[in-house]
Amino acid sequence: MKAALIIAASLMFSCAAVEGAEREFDDIVQAVSDQLHARPLHIPLFGLVNFATWVARPAGVKHLNLAVFENLQLDDHTANEIAEAIGSSDGGWRPFVRSRGHGEAVLVYMAQQRNDCKLLVAAIESGELTLVELKLNPDAIRAWLREPETSAAKQRRPSE
Amino acid sequence: MIAIRTFFIACIALAPLCAQELKLPANLDRLATKASEVVDVTLDSNLLQLASRFLSDKNPDDAQVKKVISGLKGIYVRSFEFEKTGEYAESDLEPLRTQLHAPAWSRIVGVRSTKSSENSEVFVKTEGGKIGGLAILVTEPKQLTIVSIEGAIDPDQLSELGGHFGIPKIESDPKHKDNGRGKDQ
Repeated sequence: MKAALIIAASLMFSCAAVEGAEREFDDIVQAVSDQLHARPLHIPLFGLVNFATWVARPAGVKHLNLAVFENLQLDDHTANEIAEAIGSSDGGWRPFVRSRGHGEAVLVYMAQQRNDCKLLVAAIESGELTLVELKLNPDAIRAWLREPETSAAKQRRPSE
Repeated sequence: MIAIRTFFIACIALAPLCAQELKLPANLDRLATKASEVVDVTLDSNLLQLASRFLSDKNPDDAQVKKVISGLKGIYVRSFEFEKTGEYAESDLEPLRTQLHAPAWSRIVGVRSTKSSENSEVFVKTEGGKIGGLAILVTEPKQLTIVSIEGAIDPDQLSELGGHFGIPKIESDPKHKDNGRGKDQ
């Protein structure tokens, strides 16, 4: 009975933690939406993607959240506006890498979530903004720390 | 009145000692508009603490880096890449070099490669007889990298950090010199 109660409490606690993290990301998406006067695309069955991510851990990703904005009127100030929106959120995000080139820009933020480290990547390119929140395993974090410039560039040019 | 005057004189006299943080001059923002790629890497004390938790003690390379960053307050890297040579001039770096002067700063290493036209300089900041930070300036015809490391660091430990956090590797050991590369100081 006691064991069942502990398991139930642990499950409730972990569910609440995941829910809290989702809410933080939703808050950022909302702030960016307000800033850009745009709504993110609806991605059907995204829950399945996350389940597959949780099982397969591709590139060390344990969990991910995604929001895509299309048909945006972007200018030179967009990156600053997005940075402002992320900076005003409560997620404890700290600026890590900011990269710009060839008409594209990437902002990467890092934050601690209990024993994990999470990254928030905002990739801006020709009328499109992709916001990705990634919870990474230690190997993936070390790869980012070793080569932050290269890792950020890969977000701009994933094919390379 | 004398007290106020003394206070102001003391402030002016101590100003160079207080100018500890390396501030990237505003003209570098103008340079950013000319560059084809600009990358800023920021690791403040919070991020360094977070980073050190993920560096493994079992991996000797990680363990060394972890040891070095434990005494640091921040690492800031800014790099510019240009399409063509000559898009930035030595005069663009003058405001930065003005900050890297005595008494707070001194240049400890200068490596010039005639082969790749790369010029690397390492400056060290001393505060009360102790090292309080490092600055690295790497200039190439089409690339410019500025690194500011704040906190207690031995210049010998710089090689441990090279290749991590966006810090370029600097070969300052004459035993490992490339042909045509020489330490000028």
